[in-house]
Amino acid sequence: MGKNTLSRRDFLKYQLAGAVGAALAPGLILPKDLSAQAVPDLAVVEGGPGPATRATVDLLGGIRQFVKPGQKVVIKPNMSFSTPPERASNTHPEVVRELVILCKEAGASSVLVLDHTLHRAESCLENSGIRAAGNAVIKNCVQAVSDPDLFSEVKIPKGKKLASTDIMKAVLNSDVLIAVPVAKSHSSTGVSLSMKGMMGLVHDRGTFHFRDIHTCVVDLCTVLKANLTVIDATRVLTSGGPGGPGKVLKGNMVIASRDMVAADAFTVSNFEWYDQKFKPPQVAHIRQAHERGLGRMDIENLKIKKITV
Amino acid sequence: MSFRLTVQLINLFLFLFLLGAAISIGSTAFPVDLYLRMDPALVLFTVLSARVFLLAFIPSLIVLAAALILGRVFCSHFCPMGTTLELIGKVRLWGKKRKGLPTYLSRIKYLLLGFLLGGSFLGVSWVFIASPLSLITRFYGIFIYPLLSLAGESGLTVIRPLAEKIGWTGLVYSRIAVPVFSTQLFILSFFFALFILEGFFPRFWCRILCPAGAMLALFSRRPLIRRKVAGSCTDCGKCVRACPMSAIESESIKTIRFPECIVCSTCEKICPEKAISFPGTRVEKEPKAQNLYPERRQFLLAGAAGALTAVSGLTGLDGPKATGKVGKIDHDPMLRPPAALPEAEFLARCVRCGECLAACPTNTLQPVWFESGVMGLFSPKLTPRIGYCDPHCHQCALVCPTGAIAFLSAEERLWVKTGTAVIYKEKCLAWEQKKGCMVCDEVCPYKAVEFRFQEGNPVPVPEVHEERCSGCGYCEHFCPVKPEKAIIISPNGAIRLAKGSYIEAAKKLGLDLSLKQASQGVLPSDTKPLSPSRAPGFD
Repeated sequence: MGKNTLSRRDFLKYQLAGAVGAALAPGLILPKDLSAQAVPDLAVVEGGPGPATRATVDLLGGIRQFVKPGQKVVIKPNMSFSTPPERASNTHPEVVRELVILCKEAGASSVLVLDHTLHRAESCLENSGIRAAGNAVIKNCVQAVSDPDLFSEVKIPKGKKLASTDIMKAVLNSDVLIAVPVAKSHSSTGVSLSMKGMMGLVHDRGTFHFRDIHTCVVDLCTVLKANLTVIDATRVLTSGGPGGPGKVLKGNMVIASRDMVAADAFTVSNFEWYDQKFKPPQVAHIRQAHERGLGRMDIENLKIKKITV
Repeated sequence: MSFRLTVQLINLFLFLFLLGAAISIGSTAFPVDLYLRMDPALVLFTVLSARVFLLAFIPSLIVLAAALILGRVFCSHFCPMGTTLELIGKVRLWGKKRKGLPTYLSRIKYLLLGFLLGGSFLGVSWVFIASPLSLITRFYGIFIYPLLSLAGESGLTVIRPLAEKIGWTGLVYSRIAVPVFSTQLFILSFFFALFILEGFFPRFWCRILCPAGAMLALFSRRPLIRRKVAGSCTDCGKCVRACPMSAIESESIKTIRFPECIVCSTCEKICPEKAISFPGTRVEKEPKAQNLYPERRQFLLAGAAGALTAVSGLTGLDGPKATGKVGKIDHDPMLRPPAALPEAEFLARCVRCGECLAACPTNTLQPVWFESGVMGLFSPKLTPRIGYCDPHCHQCALVCPTGAIAFLSAEERLWVKTGTAVIYKEKCLAWEQKKGCMVCDEVCPYKAVEFRFQEGNPVPVPEVHEERCSGCGYCEHFCPVKPEKAIIISPNGAIRLAKGSYIEAAKKLGLDLSLKQASQGVLPSDTKPLSPSRAPGFD
């Protein structure tokens, strides 16, 4: 039998599996809400950086839903700029620290906080405050990665503009990827949130600009999908991003989801960018990611749980 | 190990330690350029060419004064060039027998001195072709240092998988940056030649060529502490053959040419009769040695040659292409390090030691080959393609031994304009291909790049505000267009002051070179968004 043909038996098996899956899908056989405690699609918590971070993860079912004992975790914050936390071009150090603590509590065998910084690595790690915050929990866990040797070529089968790219080996070798971007504007992609943040795990990012950055970001997210997305909107850089300085809004909020697209979409619609309201489809890479089935930007149809701590 | 070798190794170690400090420590904690400032030739010709004397040059005066008392001890005990060559000479690849050289060749170093003098009277410093400390610093700084870094990094590559297994995250992610430098091939060839010569003829460089050695020779015609030969000498001639400097006359063995003697005490050690000593007291009058000075004519001719070469430089004969206009040469301007003195003064002062090149943390400083004429050889230039010039960094000026790059306060440093960014719209992704990019705006540490919307273009396009551009090169470095970037730093608009405040000079020209990032970390929440009408990146 040819390689690419399905036997009838296999075909039937697939059909059966699909039917059972559809039948079991929430809302068909099972009630839509199993209970009031059902896990939301989006957890939105107002509060200080540390406590709000922990609360969002708890709303999604707790860190053990994402990190199993012995697993290797990579946390991807924004720490590309040699700027202090109040400038909002980097993730708040306390948000990162809380996540490192959570992963440690869940029994992760290793936790690394990695980014390919734009500015000089040493000053980014120092001025962002993230190295000090992370290393206080786990020694040497915060690292800037820029050496080409530490990246490895990855094929992007579903890529429209990118056939392959080079991704940090540490990420490829990890079990869990947590995206923890700061909410900020971006002069070429509108916003820079969890999806755009994945570019920080790539070595040759220049190509992205050359090949249409929105599509490339979505291409990248077909192979780099964060298991957990935590968006730091404690401060929001609503203009002048990604580096700033720009208008910094006190968002006082942390947003988390299993769905990168949903988290990004919610963040877009929840704040004013350049003093204007935008809808998620107005950001091309969010729209395309939704259309390509990477996640959902129709947040009005999603279950959102909001609390204040 | 003999006393002299011990002193030599300590000095070589100190020299290398200070070079290492220049590369790695951004403070004035160590006098990183001390050995350079001990080189009498380097100092003399900088003083003469640039018509300036700095207190920093005093170490060279001490070295000269020491020669009056002790002879050329600097050559035999302190000079890292001498030590390096001597160590290389110990590797006898070319058989045990080493050859002698005709003594008249020793005159060449004085002729070289004359050549350098001729140039320096016209304000042109050729000292970089022959200053021993400049040459040896270049050798270790921009040839050996990259090799060692590469070796270190390769070693780390081997260890890394093991470190990862053990869980030494710090080691897994530690990196040794391997710098790259142009003109390395020249340095390699030059030193290879010197090493070969050293293999055949001990102290070839020190004896025949070194202009610093020539100056010290002139100061040690009759040092207070000098060689004495006792009556027990049997005229066996062993010392004549052993002397690396051919300082002992073969016809009358008791006679020594003091200017040639570097006080290495080889003769003292080899003498079977123990007749030779270097006593601390004055000895009786010895027979006068035949000197090895060139004839006056020869010296004057060498001086004229130096002057003529300088003239050739000043008329543009030395450049690879004719530039400027009749009667006024003008090499293509180079992107010089921040706060480099005005070009003529800069070239007169820069001794091409390469300390700035080795010390530059982003590797943007590269030695110039012939682009700037013979006069500009090996001088430093900024290469934004390789690295940007961090406005918070002034390591090049910190390590410069002659002040060719003025060291400024942190605030003054920010306001130095080394050039101006120019956008080549036909190459720019946003302007030409209508693709969202704006990397130049993203990385600019000043407020020099701004975006605006163009009729018929869905993406914002960058624009350079020349009056806010310092020429730091972040934009060129990070521009994703290859191989020629779409935004390039041109030397136009560079400000280079002989003295005075860069802030005042810039403000007088209406420039605003304050950084984008408020240095105090002020929250710019009340600033208006930069966007004129639309939000960039949104549909």
